[in-house]
Amino acid sequence: MIIPIRMISIATTIFWLILIGFYASAVYSVKDIHFGFEDPQVGMASENNMLISLSINVDNKGYYNIGSFQTSTKIHDKEGFMITQGSTLIPVIEKGRQVTAFHNVTVNVSDLMQNNQEYLFNDAELKVHEIVGMELAEIIPVQASTNFSVPWGAPLYNFTLDEIKYEAHNLTHTTANFSLSFENHAFFSLDGSIQIYLYSSTNVLISEGQTTIEASQQTPCQKCVELIVPTAGITEDGHVEVFLSTIFLKIGPLVFPFD
Amino acid sequence: MTEKKKNREKLTQELTFKALKATTKGLLIYGIYAVASMFLTPISEIVPNFQQTIEIFVIVYILLMIIGELTAKTIYQFFFNAAKALFVILYLIFSLGGGIVDMTFQNINLTVNLQLFLVVAMLLSLLGLAKSVLQAISFLNQREENAHTLASPHTSC
Repeated sequence: MIIPIRMISIATTIFWLILIGFYASAVYSVKDIHFGFEDPQVGMASENNMLISLSINVDNKGYYNIGSFQTSTKIHDKEGFMITQGSTLIPVIEKGRQVTAFHNVTVNVSDLMQNNQEYLFNDAELKVHEIVGMELAEIIPVQASTNFSVPWGAPLYNFTLDEIKYEAHNLTHTTANFSLSFENHAFFSLDGSIQIYLYSSTNVLISEGQTTIEASQQTPCQKCVELIVPTAGITEDGHVEVFLSTIFLKIGPLVFPFD
Repeated sequence: MTEKKKNREKLTQELTFKALKATTKGLLIYGIYAVASMFLTPISEIVPNFQQTIEIFVIVYILLMIIGELTAKTIYQFFFNAAKALFVILYLIFSLGGGIVDMTFQNINLTVNLQLFLVVAMLLSLLGLAKSVLQAISFLNQREENAHTLASPHTSC
């Protein structure tokens, strides 16, 4: 019985040494892994799609490979409704290698603004939940997560349609003058056109017009609009429908009642 | 009288040897801990109470080991060895919180999954526990055999 006991002793000691040595070295080698997260780049990828791109650089100078390196981003509004999410996976980062990856998250701006016009007219705070996970030595799962807020700038901040002023144009038609103004707080420029439809109180289209807009970031924009309206169709109240069309953004109708 | 004196001297020698062995083993383990703690300093700065947790483990482990050595060649040695193995199992379960370690550093929540380590460590500790039980059985068996041999001495022609 002495020999089997001795064998168990030797085997146990060897396995303990391997286990502790492996885990200690795997954890200790984390100090030699360098992570670089550059500032996120925000831009418009295609029509209505905003692209948030984060460059991630991992320099693995540790003793082991890194497995399943994953970055995940979830963006919520202040009510907790998920706006978008994105995930990037690097299956293996071999030891001694440097890997650069781009973590991309796409937000459909048009959908966002159609669902909640608050984002079109008011600045807001978006909540971001960021998770970075990996398997140290391809065995030990480690995950870091954090929450932070990012400001959202409204493209049509403080959008105002002034009172409509009527002037006689000819015997049958009248000129309707009004001005529209806003401040572009968005991270992108608003270069395009605004289509305006004027409706009477009986929801009959009485006139339409178009004006161009050029509003770069953080700049105010004011435009005067002149519409020729049939005098017979003018009512005391009604509504205006506005369609915004830029290279990347198409939004509308935005309905503004007048009286 | 001379026989008694010889026995006392033998017992003193035996005890001194046991104490020396226990001290050497204790110092050796403490030395390994001291060296390892130098490398663990960066982790101690991030993980609160990490240093204390390791220190308590090392103190209790050395204590059980010294008592085990002092009671060597008695049945109590195996009780303390079994206690040592059980202590390792329970301490790992409680200190590692079931294998999922959570810590918060500034605004970042860090989670480390050490379940695999915990399972392997528990299996090795169970092996240690089984070894202690087998040693105790072997010890009792040996003692019984010796007693039997003394009671019925073999007669040769």
